[in-house]
Amino acid sequence: MNFQLTEEQQLIEQSAHDFAKEYLDPITGQLDHTVEFPMAVVKELANHDFLGLHLPIEVGGAGAGFVSYVAVIEGLSRSCAAVASIMNNQAMASYAIQHWGSEVQKKQYVQALVKGETIGAFAIYEHGPTPGIGPDALVATKSDGGYALKGTKAYVRNAGVAAVYVVFAVTDPADPKSLTAFVVDAGVKGLRVGEALTTMGLKGCPVADVIFDNVTVPDTAVLGAVKSGGDVAARVLALASVAEAAQTVGIGQAAVEHAAVYAKQRVQFGKPVATLQPVQTLLAEAATDCYLARLGLRSTAQLVEDGKPFETEAAMVKSFLARLGSKILIDTCQVEGGMGYSETMPLPRLFRDIAGTTLLDAPADFPDYAIAASIA
Amino acid sequence: MSILTTEQQEIKQAAREFVAKHIIPNAAEYDRKGDFHSFLLEAAKESKIFTMAIPKKYGGLGYDALTQVVVAEEWGYGCGGMGTTLAAGVLGMDSVLLVGNDEQKQRYFEAIVNGGLSAFALTEPGAGSDAAAVRTTAVRSGDDYVLNGTKCFITNGGYASVYVILAKTDPSKGVKGISAFIVEKGRAGFTVGATDHKLGIRSSNTVELLLKDVHIPASNLLGKEGDGMKIAMMTLDLGRQLIAALAVGIAQRALDECVKYLQQRFPGKMQPGQTLQFKLADMQIQVQAARETLHHTARVRDSGAPFSKESAMAKAVCGDVAMAVTSQAVSLMGSYGYTSAIAKAMRDAKIMQVYEGTNQIQRLVIARAVLSPAPAAGAGQKKAA
Amino acid sequence: MPKCLVCYKWTLDEKDIKIKPGDLSLDTSRAKGKISDFDRNAIEEATLIQEQHGGAVHALTYGTSAVKQSLKDVLSRGPETVYWIVDNSAETADACVTANVLAAAIRKLGPYDLIICGEGSSDLFNQQTAARLGALLGLPCVTYVEKLSVDGDTVKATRKLADCTEVATVKGPVVVSVLGTINKPRIPSLKQVLGAAKKPNKEIKIADLGLNAEALQSKAVHKSVKGFVAKRKNIVYKEPNAAANVGKLTSSLAAEGVR
Repeated sequence: MNFQLTEEQQLIEQSAHDFAKEYLDPITGQLDHTVEFPMAVVKELANHDFLGLHLPIEVGGAGAGFVSYVAVIEGLSRSCAAVASIMNNQAMASYAIQHWGSEVQKKQYVQALVKGETIGAFAIYEHGPTPGIGPDALVATKSDGGYALKGTKAYVRNAGVAAVYVVFAVTDPADPKSLTAFVVDAGVKGLRVGEALTTMGLKGCPVADVIFDNVTVPDTAVLGAVKSGGDVAARVLALASVAEAAQTVGIGQAAVEHAAVYAKQRVQFGKPVATLQPVQTLLAEAATDCYLARLGLRSTAQLVEDGKPFETEAAMVKSFLARLGSKILIDTCQVEGGMGYSETMPLPRLFRDIAGTTLLDAPADFPDYAIAASIA
Repeated sequence: MSILTTEQQEIKQAAREFVAKHIIPNAAEYDRKGDFHSFLLEAAKESKIFTMAIPKKYGGLGYDALTQVVVAEEWGYGCGGMGTTLAAGVLGMDSVLLVGNDEQKQRYFEAIVNGGLSAFALTEPGAGSDAAAVRTTAVRSGDDYVLNGTKCFITNGGYASVYVILAKTDPSKGVKGISAFIVEKGRAGFTVGATDHKLGIRSSNTVELLLKDVHIPASNLLGKEGDGMKIAMMTLDLGRQLIAALAVGIAQRALDECVKYLQQRFPGKMQPGQTLQFKLADMQIQVQAARETLHHTARVRDSGAPFSKESAMAKAVCGDVAMAVTSQAVSLMGSYGYTSAIAKAMRDAKIMQVYEGTNQIQRLVIARAVLSPAPAAGAGQKKAA
Repeated sequence: MPKCLVCYKWTLDEKDIKIKPGDLSLDTSRAKGKISDFDRNAIEEATLIQEQHGGAVHALTYGTSAVKQSLKDVLSRGPETVYWIVDNSAETADACVTANVLAAAIRKLGPYDLIICGEGSSDLFNQQTAARLGALLGLPCVTYVEKLSVDGDTVKATRKLADCTEVATVKGPVVVSVLGTINKPRIPSLKQVLGAAKKPNKEIKIADLGLNAEALQSKAVHKSVKGFVAKRKNIVYKEPNAAANVGKLTSSLAAEGVR
């Protein structure tokens, strides 16, 4: 059992750190203010092979494994989690198309996504309780040679900038299990992106509704088999949840390190506050949570790489961080006291960012259901 | 629920209406812009809400502690930022209430009854949790004191007309060398410095105060020279209750918004599953337990018994509950939570664990009380950290 | 089409080193290795030259067994192959020994048109390797190089010296040592990182270099390395005016022996 990254994984992780220092550190504070999509940085991600990290070499990817992927996401998130979100959502789209797409779909989209020429998005959520149910549910009505899509997808990351959407719609409004995945060009007639939402953090990764007003797509737009959208979504979201956990840990680690440095130089009561036990407890618990979560998510990533079932472990990691993720920032902000509340320091941005990576975004049952079901 | 008298219920209802009219419709916009809500001062003046701690004989509303926290909870429910302005406006004059002589009370309270805002200035760049490390000086010079120094993170500092400022009158004496002074806006050399842009309570005004050779009459000294820290601690014991009340309001609001959202998202027969229901139940338990702790604290104060430990407990538990409940709410409300007003509640809640004494300082106060024997009867207020 | 050799050192990353509070000795237990900073610039410079002029880039290192961790890192940055010499003598090697070993290896591997070193290593910064290699190999040596260009068999080097900038041109094989300002090493792309595994690395056994015991015996011996921790005296001068304060400050400094 080896808990260390391999030499290659370490080099990849180092590349991510170096990239973050070079390209993300200079823009991260500004991005939080201007909230402008950082296209130049996304192009650099492509140049350094990050956008195709997880995809096969034949399609222009780097052919690296999932452990490397989460190490990169964590490394980038230490500096700018918004960019990591953009990369992750891009990867969800490119992975889905590579995995389930027809030769035509793969040829049309995958390389362009890898090169950063096209931005991709993954449109699964809706305003109703679960995709396919609710007044605005996206329904794909069969027509001659294709489908007509009508409804709204909610909280789509990369919306508006994306040129291609992987979209999920029910072909039968009475049957949520008829969920089907489609690959849709952003420019099709009837597709409209709603107003960009103001997010608490992760600013720079756009979030908006995508409205489908009788958008016509051909049969060839179906991704995978009709009615197999549930499987596609489940797998991609399970992978994404591990990646999001890496974001959480990256943000948390950055906060722990910043707070530790602050505490060593902030003098109160005649000594650095880092010497005070309550501060030590706050730092220690936050550091411990990051360390253990990292182990959990890397171990889960290894299962993915080994082709083994991993959904339970992914749910565990997600559930753990849903409980503790924000606590890491609540406590590290606490270490910095009044300064930890001032937006002149990075901690407030990290506080706002981390909350966006631990959202449960799930129907009533939560990961606990999946975990318990697998134990019993 | 704490059993309130009819009068208290009416006051609570009036506060609720004030908040619904003035605070709730404007909270999001002022938070987004980070602008100070000057309009609120007019509305507050009209309703006399600032004067709720000022005794009736000085023209104030003279509410007891329990009534005050019931009102302040409504403010917090509306908006942590606007609530902070109002609460700080009340506690800014607590020092005068506690130790001011009659002339000082008349003068100071009149300013507030006329709609002026107050501010309490203890914190400095080098004196945060280590409040005794105050370096602002106050040197006696004839019939005046001359003040020099810098204060930071002062709520209402840019808009107050009267301030209570802690300064060192005797550098050789450590904590016992600190004194408390009333300083009026407009004194030569007294200026407002940089404004801090914050994670939350963004519409609350948080500034540096700069004192350069500020002359104030000796009659502005509160109590005696050297009483400063004692006065500050007594003031904080009162202020902590109001802040705790804001925190309860923020937490209750988060819970209510979360319930509303989930009911709408899972309409009719699609009830949220029991996991979700139990999380809501836990949030309810936390909010109620925090509120009851606070109400007990207020009752202890109203009874005349010492209440430092109780204030610390209330502030610690209410602040922590606000943080826990708001972050749980954001998590449960998913992407909607992340892009809506509930995110503001989470940002606002964070400061409840920090200002008015960090929750670590509160625990120091509580631990000391837990570990030391009970005081003899009639010993008066205990010294806080 | 120059054939370049870059000599590099695998050092400890100083940011991971902690100073033990008691005796100020160094705790290197958590220190990761890294390519010495200026050597990274050397590798980058060789790679840039190859991208422009063709030819080849090899890398060479001499160290303890830790250097094996450096191989993929180096190969991900441009060189097509890396030669490595592992020997315990590296633990205490002074500049003389280091140059002896490298020169012997270069004689075996060479000839090279251009041998590039970092101006000094991140840990010891002796600044002697390049000059000694030049002497041992009978080649010209140009140090403090902050700009390098190749034109056929001529190398033009700009030297950044303390009080001036000097340009030197050298015809034929040359050893240079480069400053950190010569270039900004690019971050290896993932394909380069993953491709490193496919490039060859080759061990050179020290026994095959024909060096006698004396050549491997360090004359300069490090007795100990201690950290330095600044101690704040927190003395405040509170004289009525600035001039008086300055007077007090200078008296205090003189009393401490500062001239």
